[in-house]
Amino acid sequence: MIRVFQCEDNLTGILTGVYDAWASRLGHSGVRLVVGESDQELFCEYETVETDLEKAEKVLRTVRGRMGEEAALMIAGAAACTDGDKADMIYRMIALGLSLPDGRRICGMLGHPVMQRMLELSRRAGNIASRYMEFIRFRETAGGVLLSVIDAEADVLALIAPHFADRLPLEHWLIYDRRREKAAVHPAGKSWFLAEEVREDALREMEDSREEEQFGALWKCFHRAVAIEERKNPGLQNSFLPLKFRGLMKEFEPDGETTTAKGPKGLKTSESL
Amino acid sequence: MSYQIEAPMDLQQKLAILADAAKYDVACTSSGTDRRNDGQGIGNCVSAGICHSFSADGRCISLLKILLTNECIYDCKYCVNRRSNDVPRASFTPREVCDLTISFYRRNYIEGLFLSSGVVGSPDRTMELLYQTLLLLRTEYRFQGYIHVKAIPGASPELVERTGYLADRMSVNLELPTAEGLKALAPQKKREGMLSPIRQVQQLRTINKNELVLYRHAPRFVPAGQSTQMIIGATGESDYQIMKVAQHMYRNYDMKRVFYSAFVRVNEDSMLPALPGGPPLLREHRLYQADWLLRYYGFDTEELLSEDKPDFNVFLDPKCDWALRHLERFPVEVMRADYETLLRVPGIGYKSAGRIVKARRLGTLDYPALKKMGVVLKRAIYFITCGGKQMYPVKLQEDYILRNILDGKEGLPAGGQKEPSCEQLSLFDDPRFSV
Repeated sequence: MIRVFQCEDNLTGILTGVYDAWASRLGHSGVRLVVGESDQELFCEYETVETDLEKAEKVLRTVRGRMGEEAALMIAGAAACTDGDKADMIYRMIALGLSLPDGRRICGMLGHPVMQRMLELSRRAGNIASRYMEFIRFRETAGGVLLSVIDAEADVLALIAPHFADRLPLEHWLIYDRRREKAAVHPAGKSWFLAEEVREDALREMEDSREEEQFGALWKCFHRAVAIEERKNPGLQNSFLPLKFRGLMKEFEPDGETTTAKGPKGLKTSESL
Repeated sequence: MSYQIEAPMDLQQKLAILADAAKYDVACTSSGTDRRNDGQGIGNCVSAGICHSFSADGRCISLLKILLTNECIYDCKYCVNRRSNDVPRASFTPREVCDLTISFYRRNYIEGLFLSSGVVGSPDRTMELLYQTLLLLRTEYRFQGYIHVKAIPGASPELVERTGYLADRMSVNLELPTAEGLKALAPQKKREGMLSPIRQVQQLRTINKNELVLYRHAPRFVPAGQSTQMIIGATGESDYQIMKVAQHMYRNYDMKRVFYSAFVRVNEDSMLPALPGGPPLLREHRLYQADWLLRYYGFDTEELLSEDKPDFNVFLDPKCDWALRHLERFPVEVMRADYETLLRVPGIGYKSAGRIVKARRLGTLDYPALKKMGVVLKRAIYFITCGGKQMYPVKLQEDYILRNILDGKEGLPAGGQKEPSCEQLSLFDDPRFSV
């Protein structure tokens, strides 16, 4: 009989699951972790994990202390992916790391199947995050807030927010994840935080600032002017900048369409945050 | 009654002119500096650099690449901004450049500023304007992102030095690979004049590095190093001459990068070559490949090319070409060969070579494992053995390998497609060997 721990689909939920699975004292082969509701199997008993910040922090502290910061980052990256086996892989990695005499060596153990999979997951999340660090476009509202929408495969808000918090410390900004209805919010001069259950409809109030249209047009003009006609190469452009990102990018917006008149996809913010 | 001959330009018109005039500069890298924001201003730098968009020609857009002005006292034949060209002229004020940079940067359009300029009045006056712009951007606007600025040959060393403390990267373009080419197409420019600011920046960087060892918070001078650029195909230089110059710049001037720019014929001039097939993009591509071989793979120009064979084979990349001419060094045993030898195998890059060296300490490797490490087996199988065995029985013969590599599905980059054709067999000349 295997006990399956069903965790909430976020880092805190998974780490709480790790804590509970460990505390169940059923042995590593007697437990399995899944995220969310999964199909029931025979010879398994199911337990829903109540997300508990305190338990998760304990696990994270242990990981940091025994396995190092790099391993902690790897776990955070893997937790951001959408793959079904991520929770179990994180559990296996922590079990493996704590069984080593020196847990810090775990990130070099790339021959181990668990670590191969973990590397794959964390690298995928990292790659998606860096793509969005490149291609995010902010627009400025009349209130001086910078707004941006992403539509990412992995839950990368927490991976990209620190980059922008360092880069734009004196700005109010908000990055909205359309798929997960979450937002990273950064008030000027303060630290950033995540806001859950933000509906895009609720973000449709604020007007663009007066300069927004002008600078958008200037940017489009620059983007056109800087291409060399004789070297035109759409294939190369597509491979570096896949089409799926372009809906969110100012320079690929068709001409004549102003930001204020953007369709249902356009993000408007509100004071409801 | 007053007449206005020309209406003053608005910002967008100026930007269109000055971005268009700057686009032939290749460098658009934002790498080499790692700087966190101090909490007082805007911007930071990431050492790997960040590309924010890609233009229709597939080149990355990382920096706001503009000229301060496209007015110029010089009359270089290849340049779109030369004095004798009748093109609309425009100039930004320093404040306009700063406003543009900051508003683009806030919206995450760009990673920083690339500021170049036509030479207006005198080199000193131009350099002074560049310096004032950077000073305004760094102090009043508190911009901490990336700045790449041109050093103007002929400007006073003191101005170059002051500007260098505000910029991340500085560059002087060599324009043409040889002094003879320069004399033909840009008679007002002198090779020595271009090299002296490069040498000055190199020396100041060395001094600054020593200072930084002692005083960690000393101001940094051009932390991301220097780069330069050469136009390819405007004059008759061979690839051998070009690579010799590049190697010289890397070894003697501590260049971070040398860029190659396929010549685009923007002016009608009898001195310039006609290019019916468009810019020599494939040649440019081969030069970049060879450039990488110099910087990361421990190759020498003399190994790749010689007086007798002065140009690269357009059908094969330089590393493969070299390997085919040195088959006596192959096959290489992956489990035993040292790192430098592994680097020279086609299909093994510096990352996979590093991984192989690390991984074979812990156990034996096989072909699937090599594939997972990133080795391009379809190239490498002709040149390696793993555990004493070849992956397939392949012949170590130049002709056989060449045919198999060229028949691969990878295809050639634009400009070098072979036309499928039938031809009479000949014993003496195989067209694939000629360029």
